[in-house]
Amino acid sequence: MSDSISTITRGSHHRSRRDGWTWFARRYGALLPMAPGMLFLVLMSIYPTVYSLVISLFRWNLSDPTRMRFGGWHNYGLLLTDATFWNAVIVTFKFVTIAVSLELVLGLAIALLFFQRFPGDRFLRAILILPMVVAPVVVGLLSRYMLNVQFGIVTFVTEALGFGRVDFFGEPDLALGTLIVIDIWQWTPFMFLIMLAALQGVPEDIIEAAKVDGARPVRILFDHILHLIRYPVAVAVALRLIDAFRVYDIIFMTTRGGPIDVTQTLSWQIYDAGFKSLDIGYAAAYSWLMLIIVVVTVTLVLRLLLNEQASR
Amino acid sequence: MTSATLPPPRPTRRLLRARILTLIRAGAALIVSLMFFAPIYWMVLTAFKSGNEAFNATPSLIVWPDFGNFSLVLTQSNFGLALSTSLFVATTSTVFCLILGASIAYPLARIKMRGQKHIAFWILSLRIIPPIAVIIPLFLLLRSVGLTGSIWSLVIVYTYMNLPLTVWLLRGFFADLPAEIEEASFVDGAGRFRTFIGVTLPLTAPGFIATALLCFIFAWNEFLFANILTGAATRTAPVGLTEYVTPVSVEWNKIMAAGTLVVLPVWIGALAAQRYLVRGLTLGAVK
Repeated sequence: MSDSISTITRGSHHRSRRDGWTWFARRYGALLPMAPGMLFLVLMSIYPTVYSLVISLFRWNLSDPTRMRFGGWHNYGLLLTDATFWNAVIVTFKFVTIAVSLELVLGLAIALLFFQRFPGDRFLRAILILPMVVAPVVVGLLSRYMLNVQFGIVTFVTEALGFGRVDFFGEPDLALGTLIVIDIWQWTPFMFLIMLAALQGVPEDIIEAAKVDGARPVRILFDHILHLIRYPVAVAVALRLIDAFRVYDIIFMTTRGGPIDVTQTLSWQIYDAGFKSLDIGYAAAYSWLMLIIVVVTVTLVLRLLLNEQASR
Repeated sequence: MTSATLPPPRPTRRLLRARILTLIRAGAALIVSLMFFAPIYWMVLTAFKSGNEAFNATPSLIVWPDFGNFSLVLTQSNFGLALSTSLFVATTSTVFCLILGASIAYPLARIKMRGQKHIAFWILSLRIIPPIAVIIPLFLLLRSVGLTGSIWSLVIVYTYMNLPLTVWLLRGFFADLPAEIEEASFVDGAGRFRTFIGVTLPLTAPGFIATALLCFIFAWNEFLFANILTGAATRTAPVGLTEYVTPVSVEWNKIMAAGTLVVLPVWIGALAAQRYLVRGLTLGAVK
């Protein structure tokens, strides 16, 4: 029906099948450029996820290619009853929660310092950006050099302060904390930049009105500003959570999961299972559990941040 | 003249207080910035040190700049090759990203249709998948088509990795451009494609450049895929770095020189894109 009407109105001299085609081209032709990119995205995302779901149901070790047997939920059962898996979950959550929350608080604090302009603030801001874009591999190497027990600059400082030589990566009580500090050093600037942009987006009259009411700066921050910047905060926290769950490069360059198992994160264990033990069925099941953990955590945190703040 | 010598009592005191507060804030900001800068300073400094100085128990804070380490790193090892591999992979994947990304983002921003938001959010959701979770199937896929060990495997993976970011950023830049400007060109008889090339592209060029810089930085710094997908001849710079650390000898001054070479182009890029950094890092959510 709509076909024939559009043919009449356009006064086309072609008929029958051609009309169908021109109608289609008119309607969807502008979308055609999307096709290659969308096809690429669909292929590169659907294929690996479906494939890994399939192999997660198999007992398959690459070192023994002849024996690929269907195992059903075998790998998942194995994982959920494995103490090392739960250890990795706890280690990852410790890393992610402590690092991201400290980065948020520090980032916001530094942003408040920079909120009102002062001479040289642009220069300092440019300096603060630098850690964020250093390749994590370089960060790992640099921290190994600086924290070296024999000649590292940090060892020099701890000895001068009377703490003696501290093996930050070798001490089971310190290794994870050291990785967290490194992450905070690298990613607080990210939080800072976003918090600063968020603060600058707060309408000035709201702050002025609160000042006129006689509110103290701390109260203005907690009663008004935090509520107004909840959306950028949620975005920043979500992005940081997603990236913190991935932590791998720095562990590869420094502790490699040790000492014992204190820095065995989910990412590290999947790498271990897939590329060292070549147990790819198990690694695929692990990947799926990790994906579920990340998605659930990020969704919950977003809900929490956006709802709790909104109900104030 | 007399009024200038007589201090009006209250305003100046308030002014003085404000000045002191600014000074305190500036001082605190300076200290914080220096704390974040210190490790970077130490890396660059070590890159200029001789072998003995790098292992000195009492650290020297200032050294005479000696570019010896840099020339050794570039000439006496494969690191120069790794840097050029990185340059090629990062640049090529960035170009692919911009072409594919713009061709998705432009219709998304300009053409009204049902399900448009769903497509955009589906693309965004790809960002949440941890790379480690897809690396095994991707590795097997690329191996089955004979691409492991080839530079192109990394180009493909990095294009995929940065495409969601590119689409979201460019969509925002296109949406910021008033449609009326393009309509004027339509009236002149130009088609969509000609309008895009002649009008839209020049006007959104800063956005394109910022997006390109971010794609480049992420591809340049990537390690996990590079470590698994490259062979001896196709190492990228981050992978090349790991090979400097051997149990036999650890030449920290050379490692730090190599590290500086890896970081330097990215710093320049990040500072150039500073204005768009927040927007880029939040995929356009915060401007």
